[in-house]
Amino acid sequence: MNTNSNVYTVIYTTIVCVLVAAILAFASQALKPMQDANEKAETIGQILKAAQFDFDDSSNDAILAFYKENVASAILVDATGAKVGELNTADAAIYGTSDLKAQNYGVKDETEYSIPVYIFKNGTSVLPIYGAGLWGPVWGYIAVDKTGLNIVGAYFDHASETPGLGGKIKDDPGFRAQFEGKKLDFSDDKTFSIVKGGAPEGKANAIDAISGATMTSKGLDEAINTWIDAYKNYLNKAEEE
Amino acid sequence: MANLKETILNPILKGNPITVLILGICSSLAVTVELKGACVMALSVIIVTGVSSLICSLLRKTIPNRVRIIIQLVVVAMMVILVDQVLKAFAYAIDKQLSVYIGLIITNCIVMGRIEAFALGNKVWPSFLDGVANGVGYGLILIIVAFFRELLGSGTLFGIPVLSAIGYTNNGLMILPPMALILIGCIIWVHRSIDKSIQEK
Amino acid sequence: MEYLSLFVKSIFVDNMIFAYFLGMCSYLAVSKNVKTANGLGIAVIFVLLITLPVNYLLNKFVLLPGALSWLGESFASVDLSFLSFILFIAVIAAITQVVEMIVEKFLPSLYSSLGIYLPLIAVNCAILGGSLFMQQREFANVGESAVYALGSGIGWYLAIVALAAIREKMSYSNVPAALKGTGITFMTVGLMGIAFMAFMGISL
Repeated sequence: MNTNSNVYTVIYTTIVCVLVAAILAFASQALKPMQDANEKAETIGQILKAAQFDFDDSSNDAILAFYKENVASAILVDATGAKVGELNTADAAIYGTSDLKAQNYGVKDETEYSIPVYIFKNGTSVLPIYGAGLWGPVWGYIAVDKTGLNIVGAYFDHASETPGLGGKIKDDPGFRAQFEGKKLDFSDDKTFSIVKGGAPEGKANAIDAISGATMTSKGLDEAINTWIDAYKNYLNKAEEE
Repeated sequence: MANLKETILNPILKGNPITVLILGICSSLAVTVELKGACVMALSVIIVTGVSSLICSLLRKTIPNRVRIIIQLVVVAMMVILVDQVLKAFAYAIDKQLSVYIGLIITNCIVMGRIEAFALGNKVWPSFLDGVANGVGYGLILIIVAFFRELLGSGTLFGIPVLSAIGYTNNGLMILPPMALILIGCIIWVHRSIDKSIQEK
Repeated sequence: MEYLSLFVKSIFVDNMIFAYFLGMCSYLAVSKNVKTANGLGIAVIFVLLITLPVNYLLNKFVLLPGALSWLGESFASVDLSFLSFILFIAVIAAITQVVEMIVEKFLPSLYSSLGIYLPLIAVNCAILGGSLFMQQREFANVGESAVYALGSGIGWYLAIVALAAIREKMSYSNVPAALKGTGITFMTVGLMGIAFMAFMGISL
């Protein structure tokens, strides 16, 4: 057979491409549920870490079980602080990063927000944030206590910040530890600030930025303030109660 | 049989893809910060080189010469996507850590190089072995580099404290990318001091 | 993101060679003298600048989850992102092929200096790496992806020309026999990488 004729080449290439596409589509479909489960468990793990829980993160099931055991409720609120929906905690429904992204960019009118609050049995509430870092999205979770103003802990993640610089928002435990014991102050110009060159001493609603990662720190600062301000009315209500 | 033995041993020692042929360095130095990532990367490369050599060798008599490279690329890319999908399903954290470097196995010159140079002219079984052996030769260097970088940079091995347990201060420089290159330079130095026949003039 | 900041950062801070080791094979093989290094470097800038925006559009309108919604409502839930590797590399291979043919036909003088590198580039990790980073970083528009492509291309070009210049001088040095050639080159690149890290603190 002449393997160099045009017809043969075209047919051969087409067959190979169709075959490969079929194999890949099949593999992708078959593995999708497991990949989604991994992603969900990772997000829940981050929520739990922000709330300073000490838990077994060795398997997806363990993380999910711990979450279900400790969560009291997971509600959706709008910018007025009113409850507009609920996430089913029995099957550990959460807002993934794509949902946060949709809220961040998709919603133009403040009243249309529907953003999640994860409330745990020990009184801690976890609030997600989302924004743009230097290279790609940054997101994370801020845990506050019953009053809604004292920060218990935080956890951040990113898609593609430079390792060793912007990547420190996730990898450097020292950066995250700064959040513990800080406050959200709605009377200040900025509810919370990440200050380049070091936060002024004694300021309860500010922490130090990561040196060398100005853009990432700025992006995170913006993400926190935008999102926390959206939660403002909800948090103020929580404080009054 | 002597020939098969040669096929397997040569890529690991005398013709090591990294230290002697200088192929496939591109995609992988960044994954040698920790042993775990390096092992997964090594295993992925072994599977990809082995299986794509096997497939291309099976197809070698039917591939039209003009679109040879494209067909090889498609086969390699398919394998890489499969590996990536499987990792995402079963080793999510590691897949996230390796990020784009898994995808970059496609352009790892070892894979294409071995298909072009060996698999297209040889029978299926030797081609498979050749692919696997080259993957092993490559993985070996990755693991050696990762061993030193994790041990000296973080004081741990596979995340278990070793040096840091006895009061060693971590050398932060080892974590940074340039040290991987200098370490490979040292490995080449040692390798060529032992085997003088591969020295360059 | 400001274009200038993105441009400078992709040249110096996130340098393709020194921060991510991309395109190392050809980087080490073709850096023996400045003239050829120059040719390959320009070819890389050129191909990156063409493939990255194309792959950006491909990613945005075909691959991302829901990207096909412009075809109609029923396509809105299609997620083809698992095909991204294969399509990116196919686009890159096809474009280098086409560029090679065009250059050969219309600019024979450029072809004689650049042409031999173009086939090499299809399997250069820097090109595919550029597309994969672009996908990961979610650039806002084609302009940003083009600026990023230009920046990383120039970064790669600078790195290879600098190394070639050093290697030309180094041929007069007395290097231990076992380190000659490859060994010392690796170490040189490592040291250059450390020097480049000085740019990391840059704030723009």
